[in-house]
Amino acid sequence: MTALLTLNNVHVHFNTAAGLVRAVNGVSLDLGAGETLGLVGESGCGKSTLGKAIMRLVPVSTGEIRVEGTDIAQLQGSALTAMRRKVQMIFQDPYGSLNPRSTVGRSVAQPLVLAGWKPEAVAERVDTLLGWVGLPTDAKQRYPHEFSGGQRQRIGIARALALNPRLIVCDEPVSALDVSVRAQVINLLEDLKAEFGVSYLFISHDLSVVEHIADRVAVMYLGTIVEIGSRDRIWRQPQHPYTKALLAAAPIADPKLARTRTRTVLQGELPSPLEPPAGCPFHSRCPIAQARCKTERPVLRATGDSAQAACHFI
Amino acid sequence: MERFAFLGRFARNRGALAGTVIILLVAFAALSAPVFFPTDPLRMVAQPELWPGEDPAFPLGTDSLGRDMLAMLVHGARATLLIGLFASAVATLIGVSVGAAAGYFGGWIDETAMRAVELFQTIPNLIFVLTIVVILGSTLHNIVIAIGIVSWTPIARMTRAEFLALRDREFVQACRSMGMGDFGIIVREILPNALPPVIVLSSLVVAGAILFESAVSFLGLGDPNIASWGRLVGDGRELIRSSWYICAIPGVAIMVTVLCLNLIGDGLNDALNPKLRDR
Amino acid sequence: MAAVPLEVSDLRTTLFTRRGEMKAVDGLSLSVGAGETVALVGESGCGKSLSALSIMRLLPDPPARIVGGAVKLNGRDIVPLSEESMLDIRGKEIGMIFQDPMSALNPVATIEKQIAEVVMAHTGLGRFQARARAHELLEQVGIPDAARRLDAYPHQLSGGMCQRVVIAMAIACSPSVLIADEPTTALDVTVQAQVLTLLKRLQAEAGMAMIFITHDLGVVAETADRVVVMYAGRKVEEAAVDDLFEAPLHPYTAGLIGATPVPGAVRAERLADIPGMVPPLNALPPGCAFAPRCPRAMDRCRTERPALTEPRPGRRVACFAAEKGPT
Repeated sequence: MTALLTLNNVHVHFNTAAGLVRAVNGVSLDLGAGETLGLVGESGCGKSTLGKAIMRLVPVSTGEIRVEGTDIAQLQGSALTAMRRKVQMIFQDPYGSLNPRSTVGRSVAQPLVLAGWKPEAVAERVDTLLGWVGLPTDAKQRYPHEFSGGQRQRIGIARALALNPRLIVCDEPVSALDVSVRAQVINLLEDLKAEFGVSYLFISHDLSVVEHIADRVAVMYLGTIVEIGSRDRIWRQPQHPYTKALLAAAPIADPKLARTRTRTVLQGELPSPLEPPAGCPFHSRCPIAQARCKTERPVLRATGDSAQAACHFI
Repeated sequence: MERFAFLGRFARNRGALAGTVIILLVAFAALSAPVFFPTDPLRMVAQPELWPGEDPAFPLGTDSLGRDMLAMLVHGARATLLIGLFASAVATLIGVSVGAAAGYFGGWIDETAMRAVELFQTIPNLIFVLTIVVILGSTLHNIVIAIGIVSWTPIARMTRAEFLALRDREFVQACRSMGMGDFGIIVREILPNALPPVIVLSSLVVAGAILFESAVSFLGLGDPNIASWGRLVGDGRELIRSSWYICAIPGVAIMVTVLCLNLIGDGLNDALNPKLRDR
Repeated sequence: MAAVPLEVSDLRTTLFTRRGEMKAVDGLSLSVGAGETVALVGESGCGKSLSALSIMRLLPDPPARIVGGAVKLNGRDIVPLSEESMLDIRGKEIGMIFQDPMSALNPVATIEKQIAEVVMAHTGLGRFQARARAHELLEQVGIPDAARRLDAYPHQLSGGMCQRVVIAMAIACSPSVLIADEPTTALDVTVQAQVLTLLKRLQAEAGMAMIFITHDLGVVAETADRVVVMYAGRKVEEAAVDDLFEAPLHPYTAGLIGATPVPGAVRAERLADIPGMVPPLNALPPGCAFAPRCPRAMDRCRTERPALTEPRPGRRVACFAAEKGPT
């Protein structure tokens, strides 16, 4: 089976006034058709930048991004436009991701119009799409400010689905939503996946949401993947000390479970990506770091069936 | 619905409402000038320096050459308003284009555009306008273009700031991720969102343009075929000790019009600025 | 017996806006004992933050005003007090921690100056002693290299460090009541864990009463002793934390718990979602505010508003269906 999305040693570097920021620093991963890959990490770890790089919203410095075998990392013009139909994105901010001066119908129709659909076909498709995400068709004539956050996120999902993409990059799609509405959107995403076989790259800082929705999980720290594996593997037998710390820190909505588990609180905070530590990026906060970690950067190694971690001491 | 709400917010600002009514009256007078005063207003019709009220046929009196002040005032409204509107349109066109390109693309385009803005801001505006008019000739076109050229910089700055804030919003990224071109994104997606504050500024540029034109005409460099208000003030200045009304009447007209335009600008600001809504 | 640190009874706060009066907090009663943590839970717009601001008497007026009820701080009702007396009470008897630490600190003043100001205002210590106290407080909240950080400006510190500074300011005069309004929402998971641990430690050391406002049930489970669930400005359920998670009485509470995934638990096929959305405060339904979204709603719920009942001591619920039996 060829993977739907293959990242090969992807780097995204930004030149800023303060110096070179290595936001994404050598990421490789595969995502199969119909799979949901969760991408977790704390703010500044590069997970959103990686999502944007896949969408080609930020320039890729080096590395390959293959969608169904074609490297799109440096594509331009019409070849890029053709590829964009296969990969779509759902954004974090339901208030910012829709043009406030466009009707909902116009926003949802946008990808279709750009793809050269005929007006009648566009109108029909928009009705279908709004139906799929559970919005009334009279929503078409209305403006985004007339809708709640959850409804707007549905509009964003309808827009992303318009051209039957193979992959949807979800950048923190439920972080801005209230608990009850968040569950609605997560369920909708799962229903759509079951119906259309679409794959998700699900970027989130919320471990419990990722645990619920993802088949596999990749953990990022300072621009690199420190551990990747199946959901159960990551939750039951985390190998990397950062993954362990992240799981220990995540609050659990069950007071009895919360009291019984041992809780090692990770000290310190994320180092600045302007001056990433030499060697293992995590060594400055790692409870098991040794001299070797300060000089030698660990690579991802297999730690079991389809699981990999980047640590010298596994 | 949306339009109604906008008008409601605008009308809540009493000053803006009053300003609009007065400007509409001035515009009506300007448009109907050929109906009420079908003859050339620059024709001599009576004895010179008739004070207002002296002769009921000439309610605002006559000037030093015996021309009807009211006819000149009404015809002058035409010239003055047209110059203001067109100069503002020129300034808005230049300012929005430059500002949009600078804010959206950034990099060297932004650098170049902003240096150009600074260059224009360092030139004394009135002297620049006078220079252009003197070199190219005192025609209506040249005056309008010259005023437009000195007035576009604040609009460019405002547009740039709006574009800077909007270009990284997620809906713009969504358009980019669908493969929409830069021109489409600028014109159809960002511009409608960037326009409200620009419109407010443009309405103030109309007022500024009227003042510029008045100054140019007062100095006797205006288009000699057009009786704008500024020129009326200029024509009367030699008699200011004896028949001061010749200066005062068009002067008051200019003042009231500019004031009303500013009030309208304020009202538009209230109506278009969403932060102040619901207060 | 000493007075309960904080006792709120029938607190009512109304927003006076152009679109009408909105009852943002509608008859809230709660009490917090020394050393106890009460979590105030609900979704955006449920009135939890306005409740906190009402208790602190920090409401933005206009549009918000307390129209009734009492807030007893160590036995004294502070609702009728003047702003001047409140200045003396805030920071001294009751402290508050905000969601966004960056905007809670003055960007152009050093950390030392900001903490020392609070200390000097309430204790009459001199500049020099206040600096020493500030140093002590920074160490107490676990800021490494505290002596050097005293002269730093907020933008030189990370979000987690700034929140520690805000906490240091809130506890500077050992208040008996601490209100934490979403104190970890803006922070990363590992930093959130640090701050929660810190708050629990400080509370245990000083025996403070704490109100913890959050929308995150995970944080509730980790920190609270008792939980008050709010919906559309009203308290709909109150219970000890274990009881609440084990057997929620109000359908809204049950919905919230079902909608929150629990890692490590058996994976549910679907999350239980609550259909619809929170009604706007100016268009509340006539009966129970939750009735249009409620799976157990009866005819009575749509016309009549359920009052709070107390089926067991310490357990309160406002629901007609819950009176009949558990969910």
